[in-house]
Amino acid sequence: MQDTSIPRRNPRRPATLTTAGIKRIVLGQQGEGSVIGSLSGQHADAPKPVRLAVEPTSAILAVVHSERGALDGQAQQVIAAAALLADAATAVVAVIFGELTEDVAVWGADRVIVIPAESWQPDHELACLRAAIARFQPRHTLFPDSAMGGGDLGRRLAAIEGDAAAHIAELSTDGVAVRRHGGRVTAKRGLPKILLLAPDIVDPALPFLGQAEETAMSLPFETPARIVDLGRQAVSAAELPLEEADFILSAGNGVTDIPTFLALADAFGAAVGASRVAVDDGKFPRAKQIGATGKTVSASVYMAIGISGAIQHLQGIKACRHVIALNSDASAPIVKRADLTIVADAHQVMRHLLSQITEPGRNDMEDRL
Amino acid sequence: MTLRLSLLVSVGRNPVSGAPRACRNDVAALEIARSLPGDLTVLHAGRADNPGLTDYLAHGAGKIEVVPAKAESDIIAALADRLAGSDLILCGSRAEDGEESGMLPYLVAERLKLPLVGQVLSLSVIGDQAEITQFLPKGARRLVRVALPAVICIHPMAPVQPRYAFARKQAGKIVELAPAAGSLTSPWRTEPATRAPIKFKAHKKEAGHSRMHSAIAPASKSGEVLIEGNNAEKAQAILAYLRKYRLTDH
Repeated sequence: MQDTSIPRRNPRRPATLTTAGIKRIVLGQQGEGSVIGSLSGQHADAPKPVRLAVEPTSAILAVVHSERGALDGQAQQVIAAAALLADAATAVVAVIFGELTEDVAVWGADRVIVIPAESWQPDHELACLRAAIARFQPRHTLFPDSAMGGGDLGRRLAAIEGDAAAHIAELSTDGVAVRRHGGRVTAKRGLPKILLLAPDIVDPALPFLGQAEETAMSLPFETPARIVDLGRQAVSAAELPLEEADFILSAGNGVTDIPTFLALADAFGAAVGASRVAVDDGKFPRAKQIGATGKTVSASVYMAIGISGAIQHLQGIKACRHVIALNSDASAPIVKRADLTIVADAHQVMRHLLSQITEPGRNDMEDRL
Repeated sequence: MTLRLSLLVSVGRNPVSGAPRACRNDVAALEIARSLPGDLTVLHAGRADNPGLTDYLAHGAGKIEVVPAKAESDIIAALADRLAGSDLILCGSRAEDGEESGMLPYLVAERLKLPLVGQVLSLSVIGDQAEITQFLPKGARRLVRVALPAVICIHPMAPVQPRYAFARKQAGKIVELAPAAGSLTSPWRTEPATRAPIKFKAHKKEAGHSRMHSAIAPASKSGEVLIEGNNAEKAQAILAYLRKYRLTDH
């Protein structure tokens, strides 16, 4: 009964996976070979190609400010947007004010210019930016439309150069769209020279890499500033609303020693949060609750102590950058979300942490016994 | 010498009823301007008969000068003419209705060649300088000193308590100035907002198998898990992590 006109093919015969993620069968082999690479992990391992293959003839500038050497989500989106707008012969030049410790190739930056910015000097930043524009002659200059940093610097440049769009709500290679009249009207136009992008209008996941070549640039001299930065003022984390806090120490059901927890928060200068269970138990006021029925926070550091990490709690900490979990259960859901998980008794580690912060020179040998 | 203060106001819109009202941010700026010593001029570019303007009178503006302007008028030139000679020009950060680009203070400052400080929570004038507390995200504040004359944009969260008084609304005046000239052409075309904005993302060519994989794969990989070691070492690991990313001063 084998005599049919339709040839029979083994769907599981040997195959390879291209860098684009497309499955290609290996011709001439019929045996019971497996697909190269297993179902899990094979895509993550496929190396991404570098986007720029030829010597660039034009440029797109992405201007961002770093915070403690790292770029926030909106800054990453702006560099990625520049990479998505660029064609095959256009380089993405990332101009970064402040220091940089991250790899920006994943966001598609081909040239990286790092300009130190210890204090806020808008006139000097603008002079540096105009020097970069004069050197690269970019087709477009992109900024994050943030409260300070990109939103401020971009508008200063736009006031001089003109041809700008702010609060961009939709971006494509054809043009931009913004919302006006309280969101009732959409205004559209082609791509202007200066673009200030609202947050979350770009998906920063790119299928390619940038070259990320660090480029030196001669900076203009600092002129006498009309605006003098007198330094930052520390606001006590305890007085801040949780939504604004940068460092949050959060307690859950596993924390019973509240005074130690509060002392640790005080030592770190962190705001205090709590999970729903801890609030329901009456250990913390309702205003401290983080999660679906509480507050949504966006801290740089979120330290979850004795919190298992119910999905409702994880919703509230979606925007947090570094999550550190301290928990006695290694299989708790928070472990999947956390960047660092310590599996231990929370109280013991809290006490050690407190003593190491308050008395850094002390030898911990006696505690180990 | 008395300080010549100018305040730029726009008309907002109630987000629920759509009724014209004072822009919240500009009311905060008015409250700060009233707390400073000096002669205050309140300026608006638009229609003098806009009912939202009377809210500023109720909040203590006293007299509002209106530059009659249409959408295509060059209001920057008209406002800059009136603002020339001011020691301090105050305004909100962004309008609630209209173009809402937040560009106007920057264009005015560039036209008059004045320094601009944005996101201002509070300010005090000492001699010919202003000391400013500036809003920064994540709970930080910055102290800034700027030489006058300057343009100051007030942050919406400025700690002020505006009070509405009907008597002030009745006593206040709205006067018209010479209309703004010019006819600017705009590259923008407007239409009613009917759909949500579409995210800009890379076009990916993928096999069905890998699309399926990315749809079912966990969104994030879990980080480092530390189980071995004593408690002191574990505490040390937390501090080492914080120091690595420079998240703490300890």
